[in-house]
Amino acid sequence: MPTTTSAGPGAGRAMGKGAAGSPRTPRLRRRRTVQALKGASLTFPFLVGFALFVMVPVVMALRESVFATRSTGGLGFGGQTVTFVGLDNFAKGFQDPVFWGGMLRVLVYALVAVPLTQLLSLACALLLDAARRRTAARFRVVLLLPYMVPGIIATLIWLFQYSPAVGPLSDLFRIFGLELNFYSGDLVWVSIGNMALWGALGFNMLILNGALQSVPHEIFEAARLDGAGELRIAVSIKVPFVRGSLVLTSLLSIIGTLQLFNEPLLFRAVTPETITKDFTPAMMIYNQAFQVGDLNYATALSVILAVVVGVASAVIYRSTSRGQA
Amino acid sequence: MRIDRTRWVTTGVAAVATVVLTACSGGGTATNPEPEGPVTIEVWGWNAETGRQIAEAFNAAQGEVKVTYVLQASNTATQTNFQNAFAAGSGVPCLVQGFGPLTTMVVNGWAQDITKAVKPSESLYSKGALAAAQVNGSYYGVPSGSDGQFLIYNTATFKKAGLEVPTTWEEFVETGKALKKQGVDIANLAGEDPSTLMNLAQQAGAEWFAIDGDRWVVNFLDEGTLKAARIMQELADNDLVSNQTYQDKPALYTYFDSGNMASTTTQWWSLGGYQTNMKKSAGDWAATAIPQFEGAAQPVTPGRTQPAFVPVGCENPEAVMTYVDWLASKEGIEAGRNKETGAVGFPTQIPDPSAYVADVVPDGFFADEAQAAKVIVDAQAHVIGKFELGPDYDAWFPELQDQWGKAVAGEQTFEEALRAVQKFVAADLDGKGISYTLGS
Repeated sequence: MPTTTSAGPGAGRAMGKGAAGSPRTPRLRRRRTVQALKGASLTFPFLVGFALFVMVPVVMALRESVFATRSTGGLGFGGQTVTFVGLDNFAKGFQDPVFWGGMLRVLVYALVAVPLTQLLSLACALLLDAARRRTAARFRVVLLLPYMVPGIIATLIWLFQYSPAVGPLSDLFRIFGLELNFYSGDLVWVSIGNMALWGALGFNMLILNGALQSVPHEIFEAARLDGAGELRIAVSIKVPFVRGSLVLTSLLSIIGTLQLFNEPLLFRAVTPETITKDFTPAMMIYNQAFQVGDLNYATALSVILAVVVGVASAVIYRSTSRGQA
Repeated sequence: MRIDRTRWVTTGVAAVATVVLTACSGGGTATNPEPEGPVTIEVWGWNAETGRQIAEAFNAAQGEVKVTYVLQASNTATQTNFQNAFAAGSGVPCLVQGFGPLTTMVVNGWAQDITKAVKPSESLYSKGALAAAQVNGSYYGVPSGSDGQFLIYNTATFKKAGLEVPTTWEEFVETGKALKKQGVDIANLAGEDPSTLMNLAQQAGAEWFAIDGDRWVVNFLDEGTLKAARIMQELADNDLVSNQTYQDKPALYTYFDSGNMASTTTQWWSLGGYQTNMKKSAGDWAATAIPQFEGAAQPVTPGRTQPAFVPVGCENPEAVMTYVDWLASKEGIEAGRNKETGAVGFPTQIPDPSAYVADVVPDGFFADEAQAAKVIVDAQAHVIGKFELGPDYDAWFPELQDQWGKAVAGEQTFEEALRAVQKFVAADLDGKGISYTLGS
């Protein structure tokens, strides 16, 4: 890159006032500004997309959430009025036991599902890492396949797998003397959790496997020379090395779990006494927006959910980062 | 009960679907009639099978009105596109297939009062079709046929059990008890679908929503509803029914076909699905009138529909009715004949659809097809058509599903479920600023 001076930024500052008026300094600044703008311009396509598809909807949601839409009275045939209500929708949301009941439900579910998903993903990643490169490549594709299936399609596939009458799983377990009805209210969390695990395993495994590839192999050789077995290497060397990736996949899993929607929505048909219309926060928001028709309250609940997800992510990130330090 | 409706619609339910689908070009697209040319109206609907062919036949048959049929991807797509067009104030069609209950369309300010345009044509339609098109005594929808319910039963199962087919709901419960001793369920109540309760309530004369001046009267606990709830309670308490979900169709049909379920209430558009998927029991089934409540003054058949409506802004409701009336004519019904299947849709909106019933009775499914055809026509003759669902159906129906599911699972009684729904409706109407009083 061409430069007009050998002095670095520090040197430029050291020139101080004595250098004022030097024709080289403003030119240098200008050039740096242009250079910075050129660099920044590369982010414009992203910024435009981010503004259009993230910031604008967020602003619109915030705007919607401070209004209320009500009928003009009577039979409701006379149209509706929109009035500013300040933070009333948020206050209602913070006191809504149904919404927070759903939140608690998914949090408890996350406590079980997220660690289980992470453990199994890590185990798969470690197994792939231990396998020969060609074998690992094949398994990687197979394990990633479920992630490529859209959630709603995956749910339909599993609904048929679980079917007590025509699905294969009930027959399979019957061989072992187990009478399991995956549609029943008692097993619905297991059914949903298994599906979520099936869908997320491949993606998490891929991230972790990628991180494992970057671990310097000299360390493994040194460990082997010191007498460490493969299990010891995995636990004491590989796992600590992929801790950052584990935090990332855990965060993504937690965010996904708090927004649980597709799976319970379809399972509602098979066990409606358990999965009600407001079963998870996302289901309640959908119901408020598109069935009750209260878009204002629904957007307020969306904002609250976003804040909860953000806070949960920040807490987990901070606690795990501190542990790393 | 709802099995394979989509399939039927896609296989050529010409008339019913089209009545609901047809339209005129309104609002932005409606134009003042030119003296020298036809009025052009735009119709939105999702009748992929015959929607366009019917419109073309209509255009060829006369020169006063020209219909442009705009095919929508689905019910949901119609709703979304319509709401967008309406909000934008341009491109609003003149007739939209009903994607929700008519009162919802009125409350949202979408449907216009077309009483003047409908009145001259009243004689063309059945009472049920006319009732379904009204809100508060005015026509906001075009006359649309409701699908009358009837009972189909497995003759082999009844013969084996040595039992007669029940003619009242009270007998239905007793027959269920007798069948249970032989390990047979008398019917299926899907946990996610409260339509059976709604049907029985409608049949028993319930009125969940009524209009009194400028207030709604809400009553989910009136005598008719409680009568229906008691029947449901007996069926559930005595474990006389299964609870197979509609979501798992292969399992559902396997069960229906097994001989372990003696009967089910149904309607004409479900029959094709039965024929295709119930090979083992084909030929064993018979149709009969839906059971009545003991002491009923006259036989009535439950049945509801979601009529097509003319949006606010359409300037040519008369042109719409010209098209809708033609759909109810012999020529219009014939125009809906599916070229692939050869079937014509069952014109439930006309007073006597008997000439077309042979098309909807599937070959080989009923032991006596002529008798089944008669039952289907009779069901249409007695169909009630109207069951007011109030101004906030979209809000309370999911709540009814929740409460119904819990009642079917035995976690609460059906009366408790209805009480909870009524409480929900009251809170929702309060939130929406709509006036109401509770009937009980």
